Amino acid sequence: MFINRQNSFLYVILVVSVGYLISAVSLGAPIVDNGLTPSFFPILVGAAAILFSTMLIVQSLRTPVENTKADEPRTYTHLLVIAAIFVYIVAFRQIGYFISSTLFVFALILIFSRVEKLLFKAGISVLVVAICYVMFQKLFGVRLPTLWG
Amino acid sequence: MDFILLVFNSFSLLMDPFNLTYVVLGFLIGTIFAAIPGLTATLAMALLLPLTYTLSVETALMACASIYMAGMCGGSITATTINIPGAPSSMMTALDGYPMQQQGKGALALGHAALGSMFGGAVGALLLIAVAPFVAELSLLVKTTGKFSLLAFAIIVVVIAQRGRIPQAGLAACIGLMLATVGLDAMEPITRFTYGDSNLTAGIALMPVIIGTFAIAEVLMQAYEPTDDAATKAAASKVKIRRRDFIPPWSDIRKIGFMCYFKSCLIGYFVGTLPGAGGSMGSFLAYTETVRTSDEPETFGKGNPKGIVASESANNAVCGGAMVPMLTFGIPGDPITAIMLGVLVINGVQPGPQLMSDQAGMIAPMLAALLFSAVVLIPLTLYLIGPYFIKIVSIRKDVLYAVIALLAIVGSFVATYSTFQMFMALGMGILAFYLRRNGFPVITMLLGYILGPNLEEFLRRSLSLSNGDPTTFVTNLDSLFFVLLTLVFVYFLVIRKPATKSPADRSAS
Repeated sequence: MFINRQNSFLYVILVVSVGYLISAVSLGAPIVDNGLTPSFFPILVGAAAILFSTMLIVQSLRTPVENTKADEPRTYTHLLVIAAIFVYIVAFRQIGYFISSTLFVFALILIFSRVEKLLFKAGISVLVVAICYVMFQKLFGVRLPTLWG
Repeated sequence: MDFILLVFNSFSLLMDPFNLTYVVLGFLIGTIFAAIPGLTATLAMALLLPLTYTLSVETALMACASIYMAGMCGGSITATTINIPGAPSSMMTALDGYPMQQQGKGALALGHAALGSMFGGAVGALLLIAVAPFVAELSLLVKTTGKFSLLAFAIIVVVIAQRGRIPQAGLAACIGLMLATVGLDAMEPITRFTYGDSNLTAGIALMPVIIGTFAIAEVLMQAYEPTDDAATKAAASKVKIRRRDFIPPWSDIRKIGFMCYFKSCLIGYFVGTLPGAGGSMGSFLAYTETVRTSDEPETFGKGNPKGIVASESANNAVCGGAMVPMLTFGIPGDPITAIMLGVLVINGVQPGPQLMSDQAGMIAPMLAALLFSAVVLIPLTLYLIGPYFIKIVSIRKDVLYAVIALLAIVGSFVATYSTFQMFMALGMGILAFYLRRNGFPVITMLLGYILGPNLEEFLRRSLSLSNGDPTTFVTNLDSLFFVLLTLVFVYFLVIRKPATKSPADRSAS
């Protein structure tokens, strides 16, 4: 099997490196009149990245898949965190700092703990957001977006 | 001599209540982050980076210096008391610190660690103050071709220092270099890899790269592999520390010997000057050297305070050493100096050979803060709040990670008031998370990203000056020196030694 859980990331990097190299080549000839053009360095870096990722893929194919790692239960908590951050960034400008940040902090506290004592955790979220507001807006003079204006 | 006087005159600026508040706060934040297993002073500095926009460069650099010093010694708290190093650089401290704790001498072990840190930090800072101006003058002799060879040397050494995972380090460096090439070309009016997005014309900003790599990736790592919080809290609740037990008796210090302190400081300092080596490597080498030259090597690992002193003196001396290449050549030696470099760049200051001569007045307060943190803040913090140190690990992790994520995301907004930078920070965080999960050292990616633009520019300028002749890199003496130095490092780190990882390397990752 050429693709497994342990080397799939390497294939992604390889594909990105190939795409990068193609883009670099499309910038033009690397050397013109004995001078280096803007494409020279990216071509060099892209080629090196392909070389390293190929080496690592070959290395991973030669190494037998570790059963212990393969059998580990998959955790998806990090994906929940990524989704929460994504939604927070989208909402940040739309609904302002206070509402978006309170919901974001509350969501992360729930992700990193059990779904219990919801009122207490909501209170902590409001407190954290208020402290961060004072720190950013009042202490450091950063203008944060609000729902109105 | 002028620079040394300038540094000591900077103490008046440091004593300004506003600056002093930031230095003390920075030290406390650095200590707290270093003491909590899983968090690092690098993360603390990454989170505070956006706030430096509103501070003067001098104040921001002073705060960074105190965080750096605190980060190196804060890890010894949990390393000694519960056998969980708060920071990788304190791994060797746990070997003798925890056995002392089990023998009921935990406070004394912390006292030895603080004394070693204080001595190491002070010697490292003094050496930096004395040596940096000379290195800066020497660095003026390095011309364009030499600069390229020096930058190539730095990247190659950082990659090959990751023994056992050189291809991963090489690939991570390439990813960093790829990121560095996005945006407007430095020498010709052409944009690269922007794919029509005007947000990328100016390139990928440093702020989201640092925040994503260190803050967001850390939150994702903790979500993926949460640390065993209950065990840490249970171990911490059993520890009782009394303030009066901190001070090591004179007889102990004499038994350890001045040479042990001084030798470990020198090892730490010189390791610090090497790109990519860091505090964990410094403490590991100093510890092994102390064991090797000891009359009673069998006592190490069983509660010998000499082991604690060697490890802590060395890792704090690294702070001074790591700043030498950063200040004189603009080459960061570790993630923290990379962020300090970021503070300079964000404020429009270009690090490099001219920095020490043109803007010595701006750099001097930072060195004063480094010395002040070592000599005053380390012992003072231990004595005043030492008994409460261990309570730090009882902090609620769910709230802590939520706060880190909030500070990171809002912090990335601060730079340009643009949600694009927030998305960029998230993207960088996801990239750094998957790199770390797959055993890639992110420091090489960061160094590739930071050094990439200069590396490319000096390569193109060198070949343009030599009319495309690549032998220019060996015919110019300054360049030849760095080419030979690179070969020496390749020989000792790749060819001569087997490709295995030391415990310190493993921990540093």
